[in-house]
Amino acid sequence: MLKSVVRAVGAAVRLSSAAPSAARALPLSCPTLRSPASATIRPFTRSLWMLKNNGASSGYRPKLLSSKVLNPSVSCGCGGLHTEGDKAFGEFLSDEIKEEKKIQKNKSLPKMSGGWELEMNGTEAKLTRQLSGEKITVTFNVNNSIPPNFEEEVEQGQQQKSPEDEPEIVSTPNFVIEVAKQGGKHSLVFDCHFPEDEMSHGEGEEESDIFAIREVSFQPEGDSDWKETSYTLNTDSLDWALYDHMMDFLAERGVDNTFADELTELSTAIEHKEYIKFLEDLQSFVNCK
Amino acid sequence: MGVVLRNLQKVVPLRRARLRRDVDTLRHILGIQKFDLGIICVDNRRIQQINNLYRKKNAPTDVLSFPFYEDLRPGKLPCPLHRDELNLGDIFLGVEFVMNQCQKESLDLHGALTAVTAHGICHLLGYRHETEEEWAEMLQRERYILSEYNRLTGRHLEPLMKAFSPET
Repeated sequence: MLKSVVRAVGAAVRLSSAAPSAARALPLSCPTLRSPASATIRPFTRSLWMLKNNGASSGYRPKLLSSKVLNPSVSCGCGGLHTEGDKAFGEFLSDEIKEEKKIQKNKSLPKMSGGWELEMNGTEAKLTRQLSGEKITVTFNVNNSIPPNFEEEVEQGQQQKSPEDEPEIVSTPNFVIEVAKQGGKHSLVFDCHFPEDEMSHGEGEEESDIFAIREVSFQPEGDSDWKETSYTLNTDSLDWALYDHMMDFLAERGVDNTFADELTELSTAIEHKEYIKFLEDLQSFVNCK
Repeated sequence: MGVVLRNLQKVVPLRRARLRRDVDTLRHILGIQKFDLGIICVDNRRIQQINNLYRKKNAPTDVLSFPFYEDLRPGKLPCPLHRDELNLGDIFLGVEFVMNQCQKESLDLHGALTAVTAHGICHLLGYRHETEEEWAEMLQRERYILSEYNRLTGRHLEPLMKAFSPET
């Protein structure tokens, strides 16, 4: 326990000089690492549980909420809980939102070439296109679309590089392509992803295809539930000639390397926009507005 | 394994299945079906980077070969002792460079890519063209491969190599 607290403290001290926008790269599960740039960093030499300890024989049971530190001192009269911590949290969020908006590339989303129409439903995006009687739909969700390896790179970046050299956050979501022919009962569905190259990230040495097909199946047309009993072809052990034919099939319908690159730009912009909206909603929730 | 084909570029619309089929025909002609081969299609920026890094030539080119076996006698097939040595190496195809050449000379892109790949495979099999003698030997081999290819497919491909030049 002590070892992990010390490591968290070390990380918190490193981060105190980082630009606030870099805080987004850190795991959500470690809130203790997100120290605002302006906060005083105090090393945790004891666990919070020990704040009111009267000794081992006292039969003490931790009652965190009864600590003086957490008594409500700010109230808007709503009857809800408002603490000093909430106030600091709200102020932190205000700074964070300002910084994120500063680095936001475009307020409006980038357009896809090739006549794709975009429909948004929260974090889910749907791109559709009609091509000589065929309807092609590409669906993706920006949740969990930032590769976990990116977070290691940002941490490394903070140690070695200046803020200008920090790698950009890129969203590479899994995406599903549905191809429906006019009058058909089934769509041909391709489950695709952006392979993470083992060699290196963003150093120009990638040798994987830009995107890859993982699974292929026929599914009922329209919004019917996914049919688990439909045969699903997994490309892991697929004949490579068949795989290439399927990639050519998609390319002829506008899903090629250019599309894949534009999709990551679109997904990155959507993810950033949703993140800022989430921070704003969080700020309203915390500030009770 | 077979032929690992990768398309890392978005400049040239590539028919992967067609390229794979043509490469398989070349492998059949050369009797190298049991060997793995990598074909990586890249744009001018990437092939120029590789050309500069490995040959100190800061310009795009049509093909760069990276043989698994570096000292083969031209045309002599390797005799690997282990399964994981059944590999001839990788060929980087400068598809954008080839496309630009095809546009200038009104050639079919995929036919040109096949001829370029034949040249690349010859390099993996030990052929060089640094001297006039080597050039003549490699040209003869390419002519044979492509004449067989033309016979099997009905197409009319010509060797990539035209005249000897120590700079290429």
